[in-house]
Amino acid sequence: MSNFDVPVSERIQALKDKRARINKDLRLNVERNRIITEYFRAHEYEYPVLKHAGFLYEWCAAREINIDDDDIFLGDAGPHTRTVHFDIEQTSQSWIRSCFGDTDERFRGAWQVPGSVWVSDEEREYLLKAADYWEGRDIGATGRGLMPPEFFERYKYGDINDVTGSYPGHFNPNYEKAVLVGFGAVRREALEKLEEIRKHTTADNVRSDLFYRAVVKTCDGIILMSKRYAAGCREKAAVAVPERAAELLKMADSCDWIMENPARNLWEGIQIILFYQNLITADGTHWADSPALIDSYLGPLLENDVAAGVLTPEGAQELCDAFLLQIGNQIIMFPKPYNDQLIQAHKTGKTMYDLQGGMQNIAAGSLITLGGQKTDGTGDYNLATEMFLLSYYRLRVAEPSLALRVNKDTPDRIWEIGIACSKRLGGMPQFNNDDIIIPAMVEKGVSLQDARRYGVFGCVEPSAAGKEWSMSANCGSFGGSNGGLVQMLTMCIYGNKDPMTGADGWLPCKKLYEYESFEEFKAEFERQVKYNLDSGARIQIFNSLIFDTAWPCISASVMLEGCIESGKDVTWGGAKYTGHGLMMNACATVADSMMTVKKLCFDGKTVSLRELYDALIGNWEGYELLRQRILNEVPFYGNDNDEVDELAAWVYDLFAEYNNSLPAPHNGKLNTGALDLYWVGAGKRVWATPDGRKTGETLSPSSDPRPEVVKNGPLSYVKSVSKLPWHKIRCGGAINLRFDANSVRGDAAAAKVRELIQSYFSMGGIQFHFTVADTEVMRSAQKNPQDYQDLIVRIAGFSAYFTHLPFDDQENYIARYELAV
Amino acid sequence: MEYNNATGHIYDIQGYAVHDGPGIRTTVYTKGCPLRCLWCHSPESQCYEFELSCLPIKCLGTALCRNACIDACPEGAISADEPKAAADGSGMIQKAKIDRAKCTGCLKCTEVCFAGAVYPSGRDTTVSEVFDRVMKDAGFFKNGGGITVSGGEAMAQFDFTLNLVKRLKAAGIHICLDTTGYAPAEQFEAILPYIDLFLYDIKHMDSAKHRSFTGVGNEMILENARYLAGHGGALQIRVVVIPKLTGEETDLRKTAEFCASLGGAVKLVQLLPYHKTGRMKYDRLGLRYKLTNVEPPDDDFMLKTLEMFRSCGLNAQLH
Repeated sequence: MSNFDVPVSERIQALKDKRARINKDLRLNVERNRIITEYFRAHEYEYPVLKHAGFLYEWCAAREINIDDDDIFLGDAGPHTRTVHFDIEQTSQSWIRSCFGDTDERFRGAWQVPGSVWVSDEEREYLLKAADYWEGRDIGATGRGLMPPEFFERYKYGDINDVTGSYPGHFNPNYEKAVLVGFGAVRREALEKLEEIRKHTTADNVRSDLFYRAVVKTCDGIILMSKRYAAGCREKAAVAVPERAAELLKMADSCDWIMENPARNLWEGIQIILFYQNLITADGTHWADSPALIDSYLGPLLENDVAAGVLTPEGAQELCDAFLLQIGNQIIMFPKPYNDQLIQAHKTGKTMYDLQGGMQNIAAGSLITLGGQKTDGTGDYNLATEMFLLSYYRLRVAEPSLALRVNKDTPDRIWEIGIACSKRLGGMPQFNNDDIIIPAMVEKGVSLQDARRYGVFGCVEPSAAGKEWSMSANCGSFGGSNGGLVQMLTMCIYGNKDPMTGADGWLPCKKLYEYESFEEFKAEFERQVKYNLDSGARIQIFNSLIFDTAWPCISASVMLEGCIESGKDVTWGGAKYTGHGLMMNACATVADSMMTVKKLCFDGKTVSLRELYDALIGNWEGYELLRQRILNEVPFYGNDNDEVDELAAWVYDLFAEYNNSLPAPHNGKLNTGALDLYWVGAGKRVWATPDGRKTGETLSPSSDPRPEVVKNGPLSYVKSVSKLPWHKIRCGGAINLRFDANSVRGDAAAAKVRELIQSYFSMGGIQFHFTVADTEVMRSAQKNPQDYQDLIVRIAGFSAYFTHLPFDDQENYIARYELAV
Repeated sequence: MEYNNATGHIYDIQGYAVHDGPGIRTTVYTKGCPLRCLWCHSPESQCYEFELSCLPIKCLGTALCRNACIDACPEGAISADEPKAAADGSGMIQKAKIDRAKCTGCLKCTEVCFAGAVYPSGRDTTVSEVFDRVMKDAGFFKNGGGITVSGGEAMAQFDFTLNLVKRLKAAGIHICLDTTGYAPAEQFEAILPYIDLFLYDIKHMDSAKHRSFTGVGNEMILENARYLAGHGGALQIRVVVIPKLTGEETDLRKTAEFCASLGGAVKLVQLLPYHKTGRMKYDRLGLRYKLTNVEPPDDDFMLKTLEMFRSCGLNAQLH
């Protein structure tokens, strides 16, 4: 059997152990929030893009330079390793007031006990005062000042997060340019542009003058920060043992060089990514910034180092390992749902630490993309691809997430390590199909060359790496209704009323028993979906105006292609491509429900519409036999039944086709994806559905079939999913297959997994991930979580530690996909 | 190549049957077997006729369906069991309880059970129906995959199996036949041209022991193996290793020597450590699992056995 399990070096093991130790001793990143608060307080008059650049410069100049004795790489988002980062300007006052404004006793019980995320008395006091400052000045306030009336009336939300689901900054930053070109060159370019504008300033280019000044300031900042680290290394070297001193001096020389200049070797290339990531994190409003194609541009540096004898292969592998541990140190609080969860947790006596992992905020939704194609369409794999994959395999870490692009040129060995790694790490890497994604990107207007260089960010979303700014992706919650497509179906069934809340919808329509044909029912669904997408697109455009007005992202703009060229920040539409994602969800719940109505009430007429309606409105009370009959008789999605699979494809096609055509902010594109992270939670807000689901029960996960009705095993399962119009689902989507351990054991079985993936991809699938676990293992992990800290499972777009999942998510996970052979 | 639309009894069709031959395969499981191996992990495959299977976990209580199965049973074999707490916490329910002594296997109860708690252990089918179903998976067969016809003993429904494989062969599908080898020689002769690979069980070289473990002697099985090997058949031999039964070192050596004597026809020998996962299926059918005091062999022993097979010049692997 193949064995990729070469032990990591002692030094790497020590770093990994340290990380586990720090996980029990986390600190909140107060430093960054103090610097931005004080800078904004003193510079309220400054134009937003200059104010942000000014703050970033100040952060680079004033932040603590933290260098630990065992560091191979440098840089964290805050003064402590694995600091828990949050952005106070992102409507953070609610949780700060609830948690820190509580009684001393309760505050200490949650924030100053072993195992909590530590906040000192001084920090508590400061953050409470800072929250007062941000009241009326934060991003939410800008939103309140410009959103249209229906945002407040119809959506009934006061927080922009309720609609967007996420702030902008779900993207693949241009790390490649930072590594290969450097900030010095960008700074020079900006100065030249400024000179041109000075010669001929017009109403059209005056805003660019401000932008370029902000670029220069930001470049100055990050170069300064690197030099401060250089000085820090030298200080440490003066008191270190000779071997470490030599290493620190070498690091110092590199830090003096990098950020301003391009990387000369692998260490410098990696360090540039890490420093730049720190800067982007400090800038705020970002989540899931994802380094794409790192193997592509770090590979030549690695191979040079090895060829020149500067690095041994083991040394290179150690750097890859160290990179993975370091970049996974980024922890960012996910803004909206997390605020509420934190408040809730605090009320029930839990600490923020208790939420780590349960909420997927570790690694900040970051995702690394490996492999793919060069601009000429040939495969792009090298020694770095292999080494980074091996780092994941050896280190068994769940974050950041990992995507492996595959195509006809993907080497056998990369497939082998990829599958071995995925087996071990619960679905990491996910496999992404170049043959579908590249044409889908071209379809949305990306050039073929740029499409070939796509990266994946967040969970599954492809973008032109380093060239596309994106504001995505409100998972299944368009129009503020967390059921998404299911909500539209609910409207059609219950006559524009949500039985859960009693609230009216927006488009009056018939009740289920009033439709005269299945076609009429489908047409109503179509009308509801389109109406909601229209409103959603309008809200998206207003939403992006919030950021255009006052919340630029200069850290991304300095490097992202198009911004320097156009003189515009990314939030002003400066990037070469701008894309906004919208996610569909609960494919099976919707398709199976429609199939039930069609089969029983129209085709066979064995159940009257009235009877089904009565059963549904009463949440199946007194209709259990009918419910059982539905569950056992109706052909459901996931079994390769063309009739219901076509309904599923029709639903997705309706949504994707229409959404892709709608106007988007900054003349960018609206892109449809198919992903859900919260099907268990979203189901709690949805009344009974015709597929036999009871009120409050889970929705079906993303595009996957409902596990309890899958009867024919994995081939039929993936074939049903392959019939969805993936080429239009250009914001990505997931299939999530769970194998029992027995069916993937051994090299021959691993080869069959590869065949399954390739067959699925040749049928049009866009992405594949799988997990391996047997029920017994998970049951025993529930009983003895301490013994299963390493058990990783894949949920939609991300992997999580099984023992960190809430109990009902664990139960749901166990119920899913038991595809025994 | 002529074939007809013969009828047959099957109990399952499974996609992604990764243990049943090369590549990605879909396996058709036929019903009925002339052998009664003590360790059989699919007791539902043994009998040609459909039997009553019962999955009590699915039963929602006889009150809910107004005694549907109880009333449907002409023999009075079904009654309401003692009240027990329902799994979903909805209160106390009385599940259906089957008196196997009274049950005649008429299966009338299975027609009225919406919950699928009682169901027949197989279904009637035709060559066309099976063909249409398995061909839906053809997109996955590119790298050496295909269809495996398994059992029970597929040769026991010879007409059905022969016509099915003829039809599949005409469509260019790679076919494995999973067999005990226990069928008349002329049947193997007839089916040989359509089978790409025989998955062939050799259970024991001692005919008396073979009879006591499986109910039949091994003469015909060994003879057929020799015939297939001598007439261009490709064989993948499967040997189940069961401590106390087939797992004696000397017995296994004889098996290895027999395999080696078949020459190049043997492409692979798979050694299968005995496992117990079939036991719960016996309960569903109201049968008794007889191999209660046997444990799976340990890894060391399996590795030693593997070495021994390889030392006979065989391409062997653990499975």
